[in-house]
Amino acid sequence: MNKTLFGAVAALCLATSAAQAEAITVLVEGGGHSLQQAAADAFTKETGIEVNFVEVPYQGVFDKLTAEIASGTSNYDVATIDVVWNAAFASHVEDLSDLFTDAVKADIPPALLADATVGGKLIAMPAWANAEIVFYRKDLWEDPANQAAFKAQYGYDLAPPADWQQWRDMAKFFTKDGMFGTDVIGATSEEWMAEVLQAGSPGVILDDAGQVILDNQAHIDALVNYRAPLCEDKSAPDNALEINWGEAQNLFYQGQTAMMKFWAHAYKMTPEDSKIAGKVGVAPMIGGPAGIAGIPGPWYNVIPSTSEHKDAARQFIAFAIAHNGLGIEAPLGLAATNSAYASYTDKPGYEHFGPLLATLSAPATKGRPINEHYQELVDEAVMPAFQGALECQDNVAELLHDAAATARDILGQ
Amino acid sequence: MADRAPIDLTKLIIHAVALLLVLSYALPYLYLVSTALKPAVDVQQIPPSFLPQRLSLENFTSVIGTVGLPEAFLNSAIVAVLTTLLSLLIAVPAAYVSALYRRRLTMLFMLFALITRMVPAVSLGVPLFQIMKTLGLLDTTIGLVLAHTSTAVPLAMLLMAAFFEGVPKELEEAARVDGCTRFGAFWHIVLPVMPSGLAITALFSFIASWNEFLYALLLTSESSKTAPIVIAEFNSVYGLAWGPMTAAAVLYSLPVILVTLVLQKQIVGGLTFGAVKG
Repeated sequence: MNKTLFGAVAALCLATSAAQAEAITVLVEGGGHSLQQAAADAFTKETGIEVNFVEVPYQGVFDKLTAEIASGTSNYDVATIDVVWNAAFASHVEDLSDLFTDAVKADIPPALLADATVGGKLIAMPAWANAEIVFYRKDLWEDPANQAAFKAQYGYDLAPPADWQQWRDMAKFFTKDGMFGTDVIGATSEEWMAEVLQAGSPGVILDDAGQVILDNQAHIDALVNYRAPLCEDKSAPDNALEINWGEAQNLFYQGQTAMMKFWAHAYKMTPEDSKIAGKVGVAPMIGGPAGIAGIPGPWYNVIPSTSEHKDAARQFIAFAIAHNGLGIEAPLGLAATNSAYASYTDKPGYEHFGPLLATLSAPATKGRPINEHYQELVDEAVMPAFQGALECQDNVAELLHDAAATARDILGQ
Repeated sequence: MADRAPIDLTKLIIHAVALLLVLSYALPYLYLVSTALKPAVDVQQIPPSFLPQRLSLENFTSVIGTVGLPEAFLNSAIVAVLTTLLSLLIAVPAAYVSALYRRRLTMLFMLFALITRMVPAVSLGVPLFQIMKTLGLLDTTIGLVLAHTSTAVPLAMLLMAAFFEGVPKELEEAARVDGCTRFGAFWHIVLPVMPSGLAITALFSFIASWNEFLYALLLTSESSKTAPIVIAEFNSVYGLAWGPMTAAAVLYSLPVILVTLVLQKQIVGGLTFGAVKG
């Protein structure tokens, strides 16, 4: 009788415990929710574990997760975080190394694996990734008159730009009839950072050992090249410091620029009433002396160490990466694995996946430094020098030399 | 031919300066409205244009269909109304006692109320989060109301105390001579002569809660999420949806404008309260 009662109580306890573990909560930024919903639905169908998403504004992910961690307990079992926060949260999240099987590792671009590694541990699983690629006006590039004129002027065929020189040539060529060839973004520095990698730098701002390399030759060459359309060629609007991603995108949509470098997801988002709807072509990011390179913009799933459903959270993350392609049908249409992108490259409407995959997988592509002072380095050291250079007056090497000194001060080097 | 009144140049200049001042305050809001009325593709024109080249309601129609926005508007309204009522309930009697019965303790009380206004809200975020979590009030309307009330009460107290200072103490004394209790005198005699003060305090408490962002972000998740959070979600990592965001912001500003217009008489009366006091 006692044994039966004990067994019944034990079974009840187990059942209660199982019931409690049948739901996990995922903290996610607005746009990222839709990318993971399909995988979550499939996961629930397969395992019975419910997945609830808590959607917050971009900065809210950081603020809420910080508050949760500081409180010592967490409502969230998984948090989907921007790569720039990986270092900040590294000591407060679970080690996910066991989820990175050989098959998973082989299916993820090396730059994303590197960004997931902090202190020798794989603490974050890519959820989706983005990178800048080249957007150009197909109608202009395919126009026989333009093709003939370009060849006559520059001596080679007009095709999507593949390197620094072609980018400058084509930007100059299409600066006519009230249109600029391209834009120069001055409100953020990521686009220049991609050129730093294209120039052959072992990293942006810092090398792998964490030493400041902000004034190495690649940084200097890249900045000289980056500002050339603005300062030398006059093939970009002169208000570069006011131009951020949104403005660059709109200049292109309004037909005021012939080409831009932009995040790949935008290919599917050209407004139907835009002057350039149906006329957009895409190509991999341009290459420099070190070849094609971009700065990936990945988001990662992490498990806060305060999660109360870690096993279920692990199951979800493992399932999500194994079914990574399910998010592609969402409005942003992004994934993280090679196989997910490859499965769509031949489908109409997904022409940007080839260039995106080529950029993400390029040997020189590399993430931003995984350093908890990253934002401070950008705000205090990089941006003053970068924006100073875009005033077109000062010597780039001197500006970066001063910026490197500031960066060393921040890091106590 | 009728005689024309001479133009008063001084008055003209004063009016022109006043108009410029009003415009300088109103310009950002007018730009917000103008942006909301532009078609999506014209929202971020370069160079920017103040007036829409084409009028369009597409931002409003798209924003009305945004999942969660109507619920968030309702949550904001419930939280703001409850915060206002609770703040007045606590702050008005407290301010009355502090203003009319000046003792060391009441002075200290007001000083603490002032000090709480000096503490950055962000520094209280994590402690508040922990308290609400312990009480099981995370992502609940009452949790957010309590958090907002904690910031609105000091403001309401300071405002009401300033109004009560203009009330002669003899008013309460006369009521008590006529048989009122102290609370009765406060409730039946003093409060009815303070509609302007109450209106202004209520309005400021309402606005403080209506627009509050940080605590709403930290303390709510889904069921009690307020509109400022949902509006901020238009700023996604892969793009800022200016059009829908400005349309939502315009819609969200309407109730406050409406309340201000309804209480206009009391507010103007309150703002000039004591202006002629000797």
